[in-house]
Amino acid sequence: MPGLAPGDSAGGGPDSVNGTLVPYSSDSHVSAIYPLRHGLNPPISRVSVSWGRGNSLRVSVFRQPDSDPKSDGEVGGKVVEVTLGKSRDGEISDAQWRKIAYGSVSPFALLQSRKNSTASLSRMQLSPSPYHLEWWEYVMEYSKDIGSLLGDPKTALATLIEDPNEVFPKKVEEPSSLKAAWELMEMFYVDKLSQAWLPERLVDWLADYNSLISIDLPTVHSKLVEFQNQIVTLQVIEDDPRYWDLISSALAVGWLEIVTENGLVEAVAVLISKMPRMRPAIDAGKIGECFKAKPDFVKAWERWRAQITKLDSSAFWIQCDHRQTREGLKNMLQIMLGNVDVLCSSTCHWMELYISHFLYIRPFTAGLESMYSLAQKCFRLKHTSNPHKLMRLMIGILGENNEVVLAECSRGFGTWMVAHAIELLTAGSNEADILVHEEREDLGGISLEELHRLVYAQLLSSHLLTWQIAPIYLTSCMRQGMGLLEILLLKQPVQENQMLLKNLEICRLYELDGISSHLMEISGMYHWKHGRKGCAVFWLQQAHDEVRLSGIASQLFDSVGKSISGESFKQWEGLIELLGSEGQLAGGLDFLHKYRDFKKCLQHAESRKDADAARQAVESLMSLMRNASTPQRFWLPILYDAVKLLSWDEGPLINVGQTNLLLNKLQELSVARLRPDFVEAELPTQALNHVRYSLATNLGRAILGEL
Amino acid sequence: MEKSLATLDNGTTCSAWNYSGQRLATGSVDGTLSIFDSCDPASTSFKCTSKARVGESGVVKVVWIPPLFGDAVACIDGNGSSSLWEELAEDAQAVEWKHCKSFQSNSAKVLDVQFGVFRTILKMVVAYSGGQVKVYELSNPLELKNWQLQAEFQNLTDSVAKLAKASCFSASVSWNPQRGDGQEMSFVLGFNSDTPQLNSSKVWEFDLDHQRWVPVAELALPEDRKDQVFSVAWAPNIGRPYEVIAVATHKGIAIWHLGSNPDTDGRLSVERVALLSGYEAEVWQMEWDMSGMTLATTGTDGMVRLWQSNLNGIWHEQAAFEPAT
Repeated sequence: MPGLAPGDSAGGGPDSVNGTLVPYSSDSHVSAIYPLRHGLNPPISRVSVSWGRGNSLRVSVFRQPDSDPKSDGEVGGKVVEVTLGKSRDGEISDAQWRKIAYGSVSPFALLQSRKNSTASLSRMQLSPSPYHLEWWEYVMEYSKDIGSLLGDPKTALATLIEDPNEVFPKKVEEPSSLKAAWELMEMFYVDKLSQAWLPERLVDWLADYNSLISIDLPTVHSKLVEFQNQIVTLQVIEDDPRYWDLISSALAVGWLEIVTENGLVEAVAVLISKMPRMRPAIDAGKIGECFKAKPDFVKAWERWRAQITKLDSSAFWIQCDHRQTREGLKNMLQIMLGNVDVLCSSTCHWMELYISHFLYIRPFTAGLESMYSLAQKCFRLKHTSNPHKLMRLMIGILGENNEVVLAECSRGFGTWMVAHAIELLTAGSNEADILVHEEREDLGGISLEELHRLVYAQLLSSHLLTWQIAPIYLTSCMRQGMGLLEILLLKQPVQENQMLLKNLEICRLYELDGISSHLMEISGMYHWKHGRKGCAVFWLQQAHDEVRLSGIASQLFDSVGKSISGESFKQWEGLIELLGSEGQLAGGLDFLHKYRDFKKCLQHAESRKDADAARQAVESLMSLMRNASTPQRFWLPILYDAVKLLSWDEGPLINVGQTNLLLNKLQELSVARLRPDFVEAELPTQALNHVRYSLATNLGRAILGEL
Repeated sequence: MEKSLATLDNGTTCSAWNYSGQRLATGSVDGTLSIFDSCDPASTSFKCTSKARVGESGVVKVVWIPPLFGDAVACIDGNGSSSLWEELAEDAQAVEWKHCKSFQSNSAKVLDVQFGVFRTILKMVVAYSGGQVKVYELSNPLELKNWQLQAEFQNLTDSVAKLAKASCFSASVSWNPQRGDGQEMSFVLGFNSDTPQLNSSKVWEFDLDHQRWVPVAELALPEDRKDQVFSVAWAPNIGRPYEVIAVATHKGIAIWHLGSNPDTDGRLSVERVALLSGYEAEVWQMEWDMSGMTLATTGTDGMVRLWQSNLNGIWHEQAAFEPAT
């Protein structure tokens, strides 16, 4: 359901219907209209649709049939395919996307199996062993595994401003908003260890992803990039007010290494480098003094602020006669002293202002409630009409609105994100756990978690290279996953043996015997109709399709009955061998072997007037008629064939006892013909009477002969 | 965004994809059936691989027969007769599309044909312009030649009543795409005719005990029963406790929930959960996706529309596609 709209529309504005599933939206719903380019000349007479694999929709567009002979070469229609729900904004290529899809399978499966074993432990009321990790630690492992698939966004912020080719943030790799969103979810919901220093984590987060969040407003990052492009033309960089403006901005958002490495007055640079940070450690190349314990931090913070105040009022400023430098440095001191107005003017985006608050005004902010109210304040000061999807997600998280978080994950980052990020969300909040696991009548009895997995699996099913991982997600769905898996398997082509074997393996893995038989039957029928009869029989036997196999046996019987010479008989003979002689099929097939022998002897006897062959034929006949596996509907044709033996010129070949047995069979047959389900053999209408007469005559001759 | 799969000849009027989306069958005004295949399963470019002349007049509809019975289609032509064609390779000869059966009716035209599979049995429902419905059963699963007429009735809730000959412009049949063997066979049928009683969509179920088809539900509010039905579509059910069926009339697309437990009269409970209107066009076709969550429709306005329910069970138009050159 979510993320239906086509790929290139994702990441649109708030009015975009992409994603939807915004549970708090009103009933009014304006859907987007997308153009569907087919390239036909008008007039168009009709459009028809058909669903392909998963989410792919095939649209046939027909031109009004043209009777004008001049337009003979005109194309009459086009069939185009649209894959829905690829909610990504094009920043990830298809190949990368598949890599992520494949890579996330094993962390997902591992987490599910851990969840199951934890659940069974708690059902048995066993306490987990002391060596067991806390649940969030498992989720953390999962989150790290998945996060590593999304790329490494580490940016090398610190470079020298003197080298115009390597100025300011130089990205090692383009950060992706998917990764940024994943990290947000991880830091807020899973990583319990970093809860105490969330503000500092956000500082790092913004440093990594600042380049992503600008839509209609510049960011500190975009200003830096812009300045970098102009830097070559500047003679003395310190004379340019933009330089000081940028240095202040970088300071405001905590990119201290950029600030200190760009030729500041030493006193200020030292102060900046000694900035106390409420965090356990800091990455190499980054600046600040770390404090784990709050009291130590508070002491250091006060001392640091006192030093700034002292510098602010020192005589240094009188001696500094370069106006731009003096004002620039003074401004930076104001930032470090937490002057709201200066912070506000030095930052662009509300998120930057927010971060600067954590750094310079409220380093002790803790708890989502206060973080949220601070965010609201910053948002008011730097209002943007069209917030970036990462910001919408952030606001959802800070506002502790799980439904919004899910909806934003879905509409902003697609079905993959929501199906996988639910694990993070539920690890961090009981309410979220209840929300996503509650079974909803409106969804046909499934939970949100299941819905999102089904939707993701359906997207996976859309592509030939990814459908095979869909079963992993479908089998994690309690209620409807197997249903969808069955449909998915039944839609797989079975003409290619290799592909069929792969599908059968999936069936075996998930114990879908019925589907497996069905696929083998389809394959058997395909081969049957395409002249590969041996292959057909093989697959139908594998499927235990007795109805079709006995149909084939009956066709074989007819062929054997019609002709026992020529090429076609050889082919049938091969098939008879292939079908085997085990009586596992309805009616058994061993009679076919016997009947073939019978016919051969009969032919010999007839053509050569050979009494020995005739006696052999009688033996075959009796053996056929005594055998319980000879189907009743074949009795009459066999007896009809035997008329030649019954009227053998050189005297009766069939004795009284044998004739009586045949008469009994005939009697049984007459009774059976009265039943409605009896199938008449294709024989001349007088066949039965003819057989009866021959048997009676033979009986008379045999009695006379035995006297 | 869109990817071109195939180019169709001038005069093509209809198309249908097979069960796996690997083959396309099209019909054209000159009575030609064309089959398109891709050169390998990974390719998304489909080329015409065979053609067969299936009738004198134009083909108006092509329907694939379930794969369990081979690669075969039913073609309905402009004269109102239908024929079955299948791909065969007989006795080491090349693969060819061959005629296997024709269904002709002297007076009435065939309006729609749909196939349903029950265990190993293939059934075919045919709706005629005179308002009759015929259900045929394939005698031998290996061949498509012999069909037995199993039942003939009219689309009326009172199965004993008989109406004089009606005049129907179109009909729409949709089988319950059930997978398990637990359920009885059923299908939904609606007419677009001048006879009000015939029009409303009724759900027909095969009563195994009495060996007959009985109407078990009517998918129309009392005031809408005379409305002409343009199209019906039964959604796949992957585990819902109820069935979902879409019915299109001039009032819009109605989404119905059909209960599974019959009352004492053998009727199933029905509830219309949505009427999707604001859609000024006659619906041509409706198709459910594999999960039964999204409905795709086409209509006289030339648009392709997608409909979904949100988390609160409220149906809405999710997106629309406007064909453009």
